[in-house]
Amino acid sequence: MYVLGKNEFYGLFKGVKSIIIIAILLVTSYYSAKFSELLMSGIELTAREAKSIHTAGLLALIIFFGQLFVMSISHDTINRETHERTIRFLVTRTSRSAILMGKFFGSLLFWFVCLAVSFLLISIYSHKLDLFIFSQTMSLLTYQLALTILLSVLIPRPGVTMFLGVIIGIIFPIIGFWITFTSNIWLTWMKFMTPFYYLERDDYTFFVIILLAGMMLFIANLIFRRREC
Amino acid sequence: MLAIETKQLKKSYGSSLIVKGIDLIVEQGEIFGFLGRNGAGKSTFINMLTDISKPSFGTYALLGEEGPNDQVKKRIGVMPDYSTFYSSLTAIKHLKFLSSLSGKHVTSDRCKEVLKFVGLESDMNKKTSKYSFGMKKKLGIAQAIIHDPELIFLDEPTSGLDAESVIHIHQLIHNLNKRGKTIFMTSHNLDEVQKLCSRIAIMKEGQIVKIGSMDELRSFYQSTITVKLKHSPIPESEEMHLLQYLKAAGSNLEISNSYIMIDVENENKISQIIRAFTRCKVDVFRVEVEEASLEEIFLEE
Repeated sequence: MYVLGKNEFYGLFKGVKSIIIIAILLVTSYYSAKFSELLMSGIELTAREAKSIHTAGLLALIIFFGQLFVMSISHDTINRETHERTIRFLVTRTSRSAILMGKFFGSLLFWFVCLAVSFLLISIYSHKLDLFIFSQTMSLLTYQLALTILLSVLIPRPGVTMFLGVIIGIIFPIIGFWITFTSNIWLTWMKFMTPFYYLERDDYTFFVIILLAGMMLFIANLIFRRREC
Repeated sequence: MLAIETKQLKKSYGSSLIVKGIDLIVEQGEIFGFLGRNGAGKSTFINMLTDISKPSFGTYALLGEEGPNDQVKKRIGVMPDYSTFYSSLTAIKHLKFLSSLSGKHVTSDRCKEVLKFVGLESDMNKKTSKYSFGMKKKLGIAQAIIHDPELIFLDEPTSGLDAESVIHIHQLIHNLNKRGKTIFMTSHNLDEVQKLCSRIAIMKEGQIVKIGSMDELRSFYQSTITVKLKHSPIPESEEMHLLQYLKAAGSNLEISNSYIMIDVENENKISQIIRAFTRCKVDVFRVEVEEASLEEIFLEE
C-alpha cells in the first residue's frame, strides 16, 4: 500500500492538469486572503466564516469546484489500470485492497499537501491558521476523492469517467446544496448523504463526511475484490 | 513441497464453462509446459492461479500456501499474456516500482543486471512508450524475475518474437531453471515446449487431455519405434539367418539393398538388432529412429 501510495502521490505532481489545479488553488488562496475585507462586505457569512474570511474563499472554491478538480485528475485512477491491463502487474504482487487504499491515500496526501500549502500561504496574510476550516475542507476533499475512486471502480472505461467527471463535478454541488436546503419531505433525507449539510453546520459533524467517504471506499473495495482484471 | 497444486479448478463466464475442473501438480524445479489451441483455457487457468481472476469452483495452492494468498505473491513472478507498460516510465523505473511492490527494494545495479540478462541493457533508460513489441516481451520477463521469485509464470513468453530473441529467451528460461526456479509456461510453439519443458500438459476445451514427460507422452501415443538401418551388403550365407531373426525381432519389416526398416517395441531391440548384424559380419553405417513428435501427439488430440 505504501509503495502504491508513494507512486500515486509523486505521479500526481507530474501531470499538467495537477499543476493547473495547484496554480488555481494558490491563486485563489492568495487573492481571497488579499481581498478578504472586500469579500466580507459583499456576501453573507457565518460568524466563524467572517472570523476566518481569509480561508473561506478557498473553502468555497473546494465546495463549488472541488469535485470537478478531483474528478479531472483522479477519474481514471483505477479504470485506466484495468483498461490498459497494467493492473495485472499490481494484482499479481499485492492485494486489491492495498491497491485501492494505496491509490486513495496517495491522492489524499496530494490534496493534503496542496491544501496545506494554500493555507500556509493564507496564514502569511491573516497571521493565523484556521485548523477547523482546514479540517472541514480536507473532509470535503476526502469525500470527493472517495466518490471519484468509487466511480473509477464501477465504470471500466476512462473515457466515460472523464465525461461523467465533468457532469458530476458541475452538478454535484448544485444538487447537493438544493437537497441540503429543500423542504421537500421526499428528498430532505438525502441531505444526510451529502457533505454540504455537515459543512453548513459550525460544529464537528464534518467527521460524518469522512465516515461517508469510508463507506464509499468500503463499497469500492467490495466491488474491486470481485472484479476480473 | 509442491510448486503448484490445483483441485477441480473451474472457471465459468455466465453459463459458459471455460476451465472444466483441472487437477494438476507441478513439482518444484520443473519447467512445466502448458499447450493448447487458442481459446483452450490456458490463460484463464494461469489468470486464476495468479489472482488476475477468481476461480468459480475448486482450490489451488502455490508453494504450499492455499491461494489466493497475498504473502505468497511475493514469492512468485508473473508475465501476463498481454503486457502494456506505464508509457511514461523507463525500464529501470518499472523494475524498481514493481519490485518494491513485491516487497523487495532493488538497486539500479540489480535492475541493470536483470535487463542485461533479458537483452535490454542498451534500452534501459528509454521510456517504454518507445519500446517495440519484442522489447516489451523482454521487459515482461524482466519484471517477472526482478524480485527473485521461486515460481515464475510465463504466458506465451516467445510469441511474436524474432528467431534470435526466441533463442535468447530459451537460454534465459534454462538459466533460471538451473538456478532452481520453477517455471510454468504456456505456449503455442510445440518445438519450444518439446525442447524446454520437463513435463507437458495438453489442454483442450478447458480440460487437460494428456500430461507427462515427452517420453511418457510418446510411449502413450506410439506403441512401437520405427528404426531405419543403413548397412553393408549381407553375405548370402547369412541372409536367411538374419532375415529370420529380424522377422522375430519386430514387425513391418522392409528390406532394400542397403537399408532395412523395422518397427520394434522398445529401445533394447535396437541394440539387439545391431549386434545381430555384427554377428553376421554386416557393417552398420547409420541408425535412424523415428519417434512421435509433440506435433503429432498434439494433432492426435
